[in-house]
Amino acid sequence: MEELHINVFNIVGNSLCVEADDGEKVFIQVSAALKSGKIVVLSFQNVEMLTSAFLNTAIGQLYRDFSESEIKESLTVIQLEGADRILLKRVVDTAKLFYKDPARLEKSINEIMGD
Amino acid sequence: MLKTVMLDNIHSDFDGYQKLINLNEEAKSLWVDSLDVKIKQWFDANLAAALGGILDGIEKDLNTVRIDHINDSVKKILQKNGFLAHFGYPSVLDTNNTTIKYLKLKPTDTRFFHQYVLNELFNRSELPSISNDLKKKMAESIYEIFVNAQIHSNSDFIYTCGQYFPKRASLVLTISDTGVGFKNTVSKRFNRAIPADKAILWAISAGNTTKTDISGGIGLAILKEFIIQNKGEMQIISNDGYYNLDENGEKTGNFAAEYPGTIVTMKFNTNDSSCYGIIDGNLSGDLF
Repeated sequence: MEELHINVFNIVGNSLCVEADDGEKVFIQVSAALKSGKIVVLSFQNVEMLTSAFLNTAIGQLYRDFSESEIKESLTVIQLEGADRILLKRVVDTAKLFYKDPARLEKSINEIMGD
Repeated sequence: MLKTVMLDNIHSDFDGYQKLINLNEEAKSLWVDSLDVKIKQWFDANLAAALGGILDGIEKDLNTVRIDHINDSVKKILQKNGFLAHFGYPSVLDTNNTTIKYLKLKPTDTRFFHQYVLNELFNRSELPSISNDLKKKMAESIYEIFVNAQIHSNSDFIYTCGQYFPKRASLVLTISDTGVGFKNTVSKRFNRAIPADKAILWAISAGNTTKTDISGGIGLAILKEFIIQNKGEMQIISNDGYYNLDENGEKTGNFAAEYPGTIVTMKFNTNDSSCYGIIDGNLSGDLF
């Protein structure tokens, strides 16, 4: 399969990847590439700041449209280290749970309310 | 009509927030009137972010707001951080470099906020002892709160202000909005009435999000975990709900009335040598 490099810094336009709307721009590109059967190499080179809100939209929502194995086989992340990599792992784990068990949130609110 | 209200000894604690809420209650029905605010004894500088939101709401109803009779030392700090410049006072240069400026910005002004974080928090020579790891974690927490307000609050403005205490090795920052608040957002999502304190507790649990199509709900959990590891403190005030986390654990409560939005106060311990960017073995390869 053909490999496609996607540069997060270039899509967002600066090193600050914090807004959910900017994450959406990355998602649109990655999603389209995966749908067309490409292997995606997502580069975070020159990105200085990330939030979970950005990563939720950029990568988390891929788990709504693609299976875990599709993502594992077709998406690679490069130039992402330390606390940022830890954050992405957390976003991914949260997304898997969110799409696997949509009723979990209803249960969680019942628990908080003591129902 | 001229109404006078007194803010007497305001700290970043339940009583202090209750007094700010009381001010809002006393003044919220004013319309084309005048409000005089007197500040007696102490006022925590970071809470200018909360007071600014309240006073803007009162001015929006065509009232004239005047702040007078301020304790001298408080006045100096609130002039140095720029808050009183919004209410007719001249700015004063901060020669001690311990204030963190009062900033009122539109939720879309992310780049402006970024510049603020760099200038006010991280590019200051007075903070030499903070490791890059710690700076990064603090910045991450601050951005998560800012973006949370941006996404969920539906507020016209986001307010922020802080104070650095070199001798106590702590940095306090408050971010507030005058939006819908946790209670309303969570209640709407689940189509049932959720009390404000429960809504806050729900929202800070990892993975709990009001969004229905995109996963999330990590930002506040990240802040909470960092505050615990950093031995800092945090408070969330949203509508009539109160949440406090410090070395004694979590505490919740309810105010007698509502703050018109949400306040998040973060107190970071700047004397923290923990390593926050270390990846354990199983994370180095398989992310997905």
